[in-house]
Amino acid sequence: MTLSAPVTSGDAQGMTIVARTQGQLVRRRFFQHKAAMTGLVVLLAVVVLAFTSVGFGPFGGWWKHGWTTTGRVIDGGAPTLTLWPFSIGEHPFGQDNVGKDYFALVMRGTQQSLLVALLVGLVATSVGTFVGAAAGYFRRRTETALMRLTDVMITIPVLLIAAIVGRMAGGSGILVLGLALGLVIWPQLARLVRGEVLSLREREFIEAARAIGTRPRRIIFKHILPNTLGIIIVSTTLTIASAILVESAISFLGFGVQPPDISLGQLISFYQGAMLTRPWLFWWPGILIITVALSINFIGDGLRDAFDPRQNRVRA
Amino acid sequence: MGEILDSHGDNRLDVHVGLTLDDVRPPSDEEILRVEDLTVEFPTDDGVVHAVRGVSYVLHQREVLGIVGESGSGKSVSSMAVMGLLPRTARISGRIFFRGEDVLALPQRRRRDLRGKKIAMVFQDPMTALNPVFTIGDQLAEAVLAHELMPRKQALGRAREMLDLVGIPQAEARLRAYPHEFSGGMRQRAMIAMAVINNPDVIIADEPTTALDVTVQAQILEKLIEVKDAVNAAIVLITHDLGVIAGMAHKVLVMYAGKPVEVADTDAIFYSPRMPYTAGLLGSMPSTDTTGHRLRPIKGAPPSLINLPSGCPFSPRCPLADEECVTREPDLALTDALDHRAACHHWPKMKAVEDPTVFFRAESEIQG
Amino acid sequence: MIAFITRRLMISVFVLLAATIIMYVMTALSGDPLADLRQQTGPNREDQMRVRSERMNLDVPIPIRYLQWLGALITGDLGVNRDGQDVGVILGNALAATLQLVVAATVLAMLIGITVGILSALRQYSGFDYSVTFAAFVAFSLPLFWLAVMLKQYVAIGFNTWLRDPVIDTTVIVVVAIAAGLLWGALTAGSTQARLISFTLGALVTATFLSFLSSTRWFADPGLGTVVIGLIAVASAVGICALFAGLQYRGPLYAALAAAGLGTALHTVLGGVLTDPTWPQLLGLLVLTVGVCVALGYGLGGLLRRQAITTAILTGLVTAGLIFLDALLSAFQAYSQRMRGRPIATIGSNTPNFRGDFWQLTLDSATHIMLPTMALILISMATYSRYSRASMLEVMNQDYVRTARAKGLPERTVIVKHAFRNGMIPITTLMAFDFAGVIGGAVVTESVFGWKGMGQMFRDGLEMVDPAPVMAFFVVTGGAIVVFNMIADIIYAYLDPRIRLS
Repeated sequence: MTLSAPVTSGDAQGMTIVARTQGQLVRRRFFQHKAAMTGLVVLLAVVVLAFTSVGFGPFGGWWKHGWTTTGRVIDGGAPTLTLWPFSIGEHPFGQDNVGKDYFALVMRGTQQSLLVALLVGLVATSVGTFVGAAAGYFRRRTETALMRLTDVMITIPVLLIAAIVGRMAGGSGILVLGLALGLVIWPQLARLVRGEVLSLREREFIEAARAIGTRPRRIIFKHILPNTLGIIIVSTTLTIASAILVESAISFLGFGVQPPDISLGQLISFYQGAMLTRPWLFWWPGILIITVALSINFIGDGLRDAFDPRQNRVRA
Repeated sequence: MGEILDSHGDNRLDVHVGLTLDDVRPPSDEEILRVEDLTVEFPTDDGVVHAVRGVSYVLHQREVLGIVGESGSGKSVSSMAVMGLLPRTARISGRIFFRGEDVLALPQRRRRDLRGKKIAMVFQDPMTALNPVFTIGDQLAEAVLAHELMPRKQALGRAREMLDLVGIPQAEARLRAYPHEFSGGMRQRAMIAMAVINNPDVIIADEPTTALDVTVQAQILEKLIEVKDAVNAAIVLITHDLGVIAGMAHKVLVMYAGKPVEVADTDAIFYSPRMPYTAGLLGSMPSTDTTGHRLRPIKGAPPSLINLPSGCPFSPRCPLADEECVTREPDLALTDALDHRAACHHWPKMKAVEDPTVFFRAESEIQG
Repeated sequence: MIAFITRRLMISVFVLLAATIIMYVMTALSGDPLADLRQQTGPNREDQMRVRSERMNLDVPIPIRYLQWLGALITGDLGVNRDGQDVGVILGNALAATLQLVVAATVLAMLIGITVGILSALRQYSGFDYSVTFAAFVAFSLPLFWLAVMLKQYVAIGFNTWLRDPVIDTTVIVVVAIAAGLLWGALTAGSTQARLISFTLGALVTATFLSFLSSTRWFADPGLGTVVIGLIAVASAVGICALFAGLQYRGPLYAALAAAGLGTALHTVLGGVLTDPTWPQLLGLLVLTVGVCVALGYGLGGLLRRQAITTAILTGLVTAGLIFLDALLSAFQAYSQRMRGRPIATIGSNTPNFRGDFWQLTLDSATHIMLPTMALILISMATYSRYSRASMLEVMNQDYVRTARAKGLPERTVIVKHAFRNGMIPITTLMAFDFAGVIGGAVVTESVFGWKGMGQMFRDGLEMVDPAPVMAFFVVTGGAIVVFNMIADIIYAYLDPRIRLS
């Protein structure tokens, strides 16, 4: 009972369905996905806010306070942000116990958490795709070796290995940390890609390519990987979302981002004791983590629906 | 030309060398199933799919009705509507009478009593139609227990009888087997056994041989006729392959774009089609006498069921189409013979030639 | 099948072994184990450094150290930490608490998550489905430690404070009632009218129920009592029958009702036995319950004996659970008083040096484990609900489900028998995966709730660059993961006969 709309052929008139390329279909479905669009807008807003407000690198920000400057604690450091009537006030997110502006701190933490997560996503995707594609395409010894390695890595709970890696790399700055975390979070993705490659390599067009003597490298890069692009993009997105949480969790445990760098998880860990006296020190970083992770997850969901409109596929 | 036509027909009817309808009891006059102006629509994101647009037929006791059409012609959807198996989103109108009772007006409970008990179904792909995690015996017995309270042992006994009937050897042991331990042909036999286990009045067979090896297809069709005779059932045989219909159906309903376009006795469909689409199907069918000829596919593809072309839906692909065909959709109307209906403005043109498939020949072929 | 499981088990053990190499080497390389001493200025600095180096074998290359550790592990010796304490002893105390936490969290998350996921699939694109989907996404995006701190602050401390005067605010009653009504409405299939009716009924029943609890100050001295146990037992008997056998048949219904009735009647009699039982005694009672229920099902089932036995057993278990819950709740007031009116604990896995009867001790564990479990299950629950929703949706579109409907089976059987079993096959793969995630989560949760569990051991060990405790944690949790993998394999093989052959 498949009622697929056929693509028009040149000589048949009276049929109004216009052929669309795969890319156009994906884009159209993605832009029609309300949750994903909301996620995208919110994420962009957070990114712009985080990077422009307190500045990044050589570029200064427009926010009046820096994240390192201490000051006089006003009104116990309570947040001055009010929604009705809307007013930002002097310290919208409040101040910590030595008078640092909490908005500036949280924005700086958001920047660094985002950077770590992005880096983790990119590194993990590259390694995972490489391992998965190689294992899936070459079979035999290469596959056995790579998949055993993947199995071993997967046995170790992500948080444990991340904590250990964080303990090693946390003090060396966020770039090293992101790189190191990426190097241990790839196994899930490798499995996914391998599964996809395995099913693709049995398809006729790959057989055809092989039959005319195409080299393996060309088959992998020209024929197989483009077809796994959807699944790779989707899992990259979801990896970034979970990287935000992993980074914040290990920073909370004390194994992640180390001072003078600031991350959202580290802020929560740092001010955990202030829960009773200054709860806002605890609230804001948490809200930011949820906002960012939720937006990215929704974007990932939209991408998945766009690439795989059946929507009910089981990923395992 | 005359010679060709004769050999055409003879060869086609000889596809089944074994049991045919002529070897079993003929239909009676008792009306079992009557479908009146059935339409089915599915609302989707891209618009409303008009899957079935007015199907009517009558099925008598022991009669076999063939429904022929390409995929997407609405043949399966119309039978699923009869079974009551369409998704909740489907909009169904028209009337379906089973032994005089309007099925669509019945409450869910009563419809379920008909399903599998009075109207049973054999599906296309026996590889996926059986549940992989339960034994064959369990799935057969369940069909009995769904309608009748009895000890499980008794139901399993009935299942064993049915496996015997459809020709599965060592039926007792096979009851404990799982579907993956069966070959495709055996699974389809098991499906047939499941369909007849409650002595139904109607069996709907939806492309029962499409997914099977060519060598097994004839066996399955014969078996279908044999069990039909054993339980006194009528059959609705759905297929896209006219070759399957020959010798297997008393009458044929050809569907295109959700509508019946020709209804007639099986012989009339083969010897004197009155709708170009039917002729096109005949021309694209291989048979022993076409050796040396090219098969003549119908050019183009079936129309979208969301945006149907104006006029006759077949007109974009029809060699006989003219202005009238594009502006007005023809009704299914009586043609030259009794009980032979066709939806074509130009059926007399079809009558005028001896081999109606001629319209689908390429220019070069006609000259040569 | 045994060969299949043995082979999988062997592979798992080797994989685990390889993983220990990675863990050991990386932990040993993660920092300088002498860092704290190097910063010291005391006179005996060199001495201390020498002692620790010797104890941790720092002069030996890391691969050799690993082999030494492995050799000791085979003899059952987990080594000493850098202060010379036997890791095996530390582990002994931590083990039970942590395993209790992760197993409880996993089982609960599976039960609730799968149920929610299936309901969500069966009501695809309903308000319920959308809410569950949204909630799952929020859960995926929640930092566990943040949630844990929030629970500690607002649920535990807030609840304890409220318990001094357990009156439910009218606003709260109204809000909860409306929420409950919406839930029922969303779960109801059919016309707008049917939905409205279930909304109204759901909201009214909830409001009445809450007002009753509030006015009787139920929370100060909770309990169920024979009448309530009886009512719930009968209701669940009917529900279980509707789900597993259909209400039109007498056999299964009578068997279930008999189980409910007998259980309730025994509640009044059993009081003496249950004053201060032990776990083995309770287990014996449970076995007895199942036995009696089998007999009831067998005797009353008639032609539907199988279904009758199932419904009787399930009803019997629910009733037994209710009786247990009642006994536990009855001990609450006394327990609460002993805790100076703050019964929900926020620190540790049990009250130090707490003594009491069986119920008090169980209650003490329960109040401690409650919040960490709540925090821990949320994410797994979301995962399970998403996967089982996707899996059920996929299965419901399969041809064999259509075949099952074509046979004339009621929708209940189609779902409970045909779709459910197939839908659960991919979930078993998830089980093993998710368990590893829960263990990671346990480290975080234990840290927030101040448990002296294994998570603490791991964290301290890693902080001090001390492989012995880190590895002890990993060996135990890795072992648990292997066991869970094996359970998953067995369930998989049970569910899918195609696996049993290969």
